[in-house]
Amino acid sequence: MKRSKKAALILMAPAATLLLAGCGEQEQEVHVFHDVDECAAFYHPPAACQAEFEQAQAMHTQVAPRYQNQLECEADFGAGQCETAPERHQSGSFFMPMMMGYMAGQMLNRGNLAGGQAQPTQQAAGGSRPAVPTQPLYKSRDDRSTFRTASNQAVASQPGVARVRPSAVQPQRAQLVRRGGFGQQAAARQEAMRRDARRQRSYGS
Amino acid sequence: MPVVSAVTAAKMKRVKSTPRPGWQAYAESLGFQFHTIDGEPYWDESAYYQFSLRQIEQDLEDVTEQLHAMALDLIPDILADEQKLDQLAIPAEYRDALAASWQRGDPHLYGRMDLVYDGSGPAKLLELNYDTPTSLYETGFFQWVWLEDQLMRGELPAGADQFNSLQDKLEQAFANLALPQPFHFTSVRESIEDKGTVDYLLDIATQSGVDGRYIALEDIGSLDGQYYDLQGEPITGLFKLYPWEFLLEEAFAEQVKTSETLWLEPLWKLLLSNKGILPLLWQKHPGHPNLLESHFDTGKALDKGWLRKPLFSREGANIELVTADGKRLSEPGPYQDAPFIRQRLQPLPMFDGNYTLIGSWVVGDSAAGIGIREDNSLITKDSSRFLPHIILD
Repeated sequence: MKRSKKAALILMAPAATLLLAGCGEQEQEVHVFHDVDECAAFYHPPAACQAEFEQAQAMHTQVAPRYQNQLECEADFGAGQCETAPERHQSGSFFMPMMMGYMAGQMLNRGNLAGGQAQPTQQAAGGSRPAVPTQPLYKSRDDRSTFRTASNQAVASQPGVARVRPSAVQPQRAQLVRRGGFGQQAAARQEAMRRDARRQRSYGS
Repeated sequence: MPVVSAVTAAKMKRVKSTPRPGWQAYAESLGFQFHTIDGEPYWDESAYYQFSLRQIEQDLEDVTEQLHAMALDLIPDILADEQKLDQLAIPAEYRDALAASWQRGDPHLYGRMDLVYDGSGPAKLLELNYDTPTSLYETGFFQWVWLEDQLMRGELPAGADQFNSLQDKLEQAFANLALPQPFHFTSVRESIEDKGTVDYLLDIATQSGVDGRYIALEDIGSLDGQYYDLQGEPITGLFKLYPWEFLLEEAFAEQVKTSETLWLEPLWKLLLSNKGILPLLWQKHPGHPNLLESHFDTGKALDKGWLRKPLFSREGANIELVTADGKRLSEPGPYQDAPFIRQRLQPLPMFDGNYTLIGSWVVGDSAAGIGIREDNSLITKDSSRFLPHIILD
């Protein structure tokens, strides 16, 4: 064989994602995608992509943040980005943001390929459940590039592999809380990153 | 006597291929931010090149190692000859430091030589990019991922291989070089492409157990003849993706003579990344099948079938050529102040309307794989596209 036996990256791939600051807790590798097709395009078995997606979708109606009306919801998530929630209140339906992607917590990396070492999925203490449940992700009106959990935890700035602290991404049943300030800070940083991403002269040859 | 093969040599093939859907986002998730440059594709998987194993091993791998050995072999000749050092425009005040870096045996990591080769006949050496070679990540990593991915999808015939042990060899090199720790990696702050290349090397070095750290070139400090990082610690080892000929003209150059820094690439590489090595190779090996006739330029007008390029230039800048039928072609650039060499023009082969150039990598002293660039012009520039390749018999 005339090619490398493996080609792993341990720094570059996770560097492309928004990291959650760890404080003693070990981060876990997860996979973040907009949809099933994208998951498959990232080199995962389509059937596994579909199964994880359906799991996230089922959780969506339970965990998506709830709003009294469509306007309030769209103030956080953007025009046309909200749908009616299953619950009703006195004067109508609750609203919730549409699911914009999903995080697969238990999909194993493919062998020794890009994105690094295959890590066994972490097990929650004393149980056999994976430490990061597969779940839906959302995008705020102000920051369309960042994937966030239902509880407004930013997890990644682009599809692919991300690292998260399991405790920061435990899904909780939706409550009727008012939310605001989704992502101005991240948006500004993202914009700065985009500005830097123009080609500058290379000093290589 | 060389054995003349009875088999009629065939060209390598350019095979059209369907790009993987969604590959751009996948590339970005793997740190390949510069797959598209200024809106123009750089990574191009709409086709690939197909070589036979014989073409790879005989015409490229063996030839690369042979040319590499011939180049290293010239270094003692050059160091012993002030006139040759003058011809290569090596600054007089750094000649002692350069010679010392060679005599100490300062290690070298890698280089890339550009070859003209169409699959038949001998590959011809265009130049050595032996100080700051790039297209490393796309060759060693993304091209490899492409092959594995397309094999898995059944888009490539089972058994297809690739001449690409670049990452394996770099990992071994970092493990074996016994570099000072920590070891720093640097590039200019604004170049996202250079940062990508340096990040890749830093990643591989880290996997080899090196305590690698990035520092922007502009952040390097200098005090009492030493270089310092942002924490105020002396920089004992430094990989730089920045040409020696630039460094030696800048404010902190003087400390190159006094600092304890081990450089990658070492200062002696200034002799090999210099286009002046081409006439010197020709003088020592006139008529070698893998060399193109080359001379130091006298300033005369170019004859048909010749090209002129500066001793130091990058990405095709400041190259001027006259084709066999008298067509003149030139590429502007910022390197007009250095002396020039002239080289017999060996036109790049054309495949489906594209001019094709082969970059052949050397890690340590071993051939380590190839990357292919296509351009719409005889002069391969920074606007060229990178295409993957396979080996299939």
